[in-house]
Amino acid sequence: MSSTEAGSPAPGIRVVIVDDHAIFRSGLKADLDPDIIVAGEAGTVEGAVAVIAAVRPDVVLLDVHLPGGLGGGGREVLAGSAPLLGSTRFLALSVSDAAEDVVSVIRAGARGYVTKTISGAQISDAVRRVAGGDAVFSPRLAGFVLDAFGTAPADIADDELDRLSARELEVMRLIARGYSYKEVAKELFISIKTVETHVSAVLRKLQLSSRHELTRWAAERRLL
Amino acid sequence: MTTAVSRPPLVRGSDRVIAGVCSGLARHLGWPLRLVRIGMVVAALAGGAGVAFYAWLWIMVPTADESAKRDSRRPASPIAPAVSAPFAASTAGTYGPGPYAGSPSESPTPCAAAAAGTAAPEAAAAPAGSVPAGAWRNRVTGMRYGKEILLGAGLLLAAGILIARLLGVDVPLGTLIPVAAILGGAAIAWMQLDETRRAGLVDKTKADQAGGWARLAAGLALVVAGVLVMVSGSGSWEQTWLALLSSVAVLGGVALVLLPWGLKFWRDLETERAGRVRATERAEIAAHLHDSVLQTLALIQRRAGNESDVVRLARAQERELRGWLYRDPGKESGQLSEGIKAAAAEVEDTLGHAVEVVTVGDCPMSERHEALVQAAREAMLNAARHGGGAVSVYLEVTDGWAEVFVKDRGPGFDPDAVPADRLGVRESVIGRMNRHGGTATISSSPDGTEVRLRLPLSAAPAGAGNSNGEVRL
Repeated sequence: MSSTEAGSPAPGIRVVIVDDHAIFRSGLKADLDPDIIVAGEAGTVEGAVAVIAAVRPDVVLLDVHLPGGLGGGGREVLAGSAPLLGSTRFLALSVSDAAEDVVSVIRAGARGYVTKTISGAQISDAVRRVAGGDAVFSPRLAGFVLDAFGTAPADIADDELDRLSARELEVMRLIARGYSYKEVAKELFISIKTVETHVSAVLRKLQLSSRHELTRWAAERRLL
Repeated sequence: MTTAVSRPPLVRGSDRVIAGVCSGLARHLGWPLRLVRIGMVVAALAGGAGVAFYAWLWIMVPTADESAKRDSRRPASPIAPAVSAPFAASTAGTYGPGPYAGSPSESPTPCAAAAAGTAAPEAAAAPAGSVPAGAWRNRVTGMRYGKEILLGAGLLLAAGILIARLLGVDVPLGTLIPVAAILGGAAIAWMQLDETRRAGLVDKTKADQAGGWARLAAGLALVVAGVLVMVSGSGSWEQTWLALLSSVAVLGGVALVLLPWGLKFWRDLETERAGRVRATERAEIAAHLHDSVLQTLALIQRRAGNESDVVRLARAQERELRGWLYRDPGKESGQLSEGIKAAAAEVEDTLGHAVEVVTVGDCPMSERHEALVQAAREAMLNAARHGGGAVSVYLEVTDGWAEVFVKDRGPGFDPDAVPADRLGVRESVIGRMNRHGGTATISSSPDGTEVRLRLPLSAAPAGAGNSNGEVRL
């Protein structure tokens, strides 16, 4: 609601925090690393769309469940900020780990999904990663991806959007097992940059795949 | 009416030819269904007594669905006061489902409960909905039974007349046919009424409604035709038309007066019902939150000084609440993923250390999976005890394998340096997996330790040669 413009174009990453709990917003603000500047806050769908349009931050930390609007929560904020999706990136943040919430907000355009229980350092890390154009996958999100796309590698005949390649599957499996990107890179003898490329590719598939199973799967599987 | 203690309640069954009266009666009395049906037909032939009896039961006896609905509705208001009365919550849920026992014993209960709801100031959840509910129900029960008794008496009278006619002079067919038409029409219309009452539970589609209206119209036409033929038999056509016109005019007038009243009544009923459903839901949620979240918050306040206790309580409560909010009641239990999650929850509770579980795929639990869960539990315990940071658990079930990975971010250890007398890793994890035809792999580095358990789904002796060189122990 309040948009406190943080002045000059600082070298740090400018973020907007969208969450309906003021306590959580202030706690998160205190937890974030100093190079991340909170340029605005919002607690409702309308407020978020307005603040994001006014502030044009690098990253929006977006709660999935928000009051206001038509009841669509974070998804609605993403839809309302669609023209900005090129320059502003969204990191979804939620206490819910229901598959439906996670998958729908990713498919609406968020670049990653983390649960609210992770530490300030981890969130700061995720913000930097998303600001750099990469995707942020939590172990749980990786688990959802594996469950939705299946654990068998792609056939050449398959539509490439509907299946994960063998390498992408390996990366997803390691993330689901709790590996950080660095650990994944070490385990597979590839660079971190390559890991990020694979993860971004999986995100793209998750967002663009039209296979009907994905939606049905998410709707059916209401819990983790 | 029929309150025999040891008998099943008298309700109309779903196994029905006309309205399920015979099947309900048979179940209630414990007689064979065929016998009851034949008896009813015989009684119907004996001067129509059976017909009258059948009609009377049809009107007075509810269907099984209606009876269940009535019983299930009863806890609606009693739950609300339970919100304010701390430990009555669990008993309130079981309140109520007695046998269907007529109106007098039923109506005072919700009234009293509603009164209790208003008396307790904290029970703000429901009083607005439940007070009119009780009063309204009271009024309606009195009215409804009066009407039905009247109908029953009328039908008995009709049966009596029928018997007298059959015993007396032989009645001309010209009178019997219209009477039969009237009775048939009425029966069709009543069956329709029965249907709509039952369909009121489920949202009925337009098509059903159209069919229902057609049936109602057919019944009405039959009755009107019967009455017309009867009346026209006794007088001239002109008189008949006049009578018809005047009765239509009177009916129209009555309908005009009653229609807004009926509509209002119907709307009141709908809002009241919706309000009661909301109140029930709210009371249920409040009762659950009270038993779980509020209790935990109270505990947390008392243990505020002890950080690990607070974390443990918060984690346990979070898990419980998540389970309650998101669990799919249709999902069958006894799955492998459930077992792993339960083991993780146990470790969290005992050691106060976060354990994150991610599962992909699932399968029903078998005896061998029990071993996998036990080994995983042991690995989680070790990870939580010796490793730092969160413990990650990943379960993947594919067509041929079930695999569990347990990873911690501790300083790591050298598996070779574990003394031979330490049973934890060697026996509980590796030995157990090998005995059940699986494998266990431990890899440790300064970044953390990962235990990998792998179990083929079929009981093939895959683990005979065990550990296929991967086990570094």
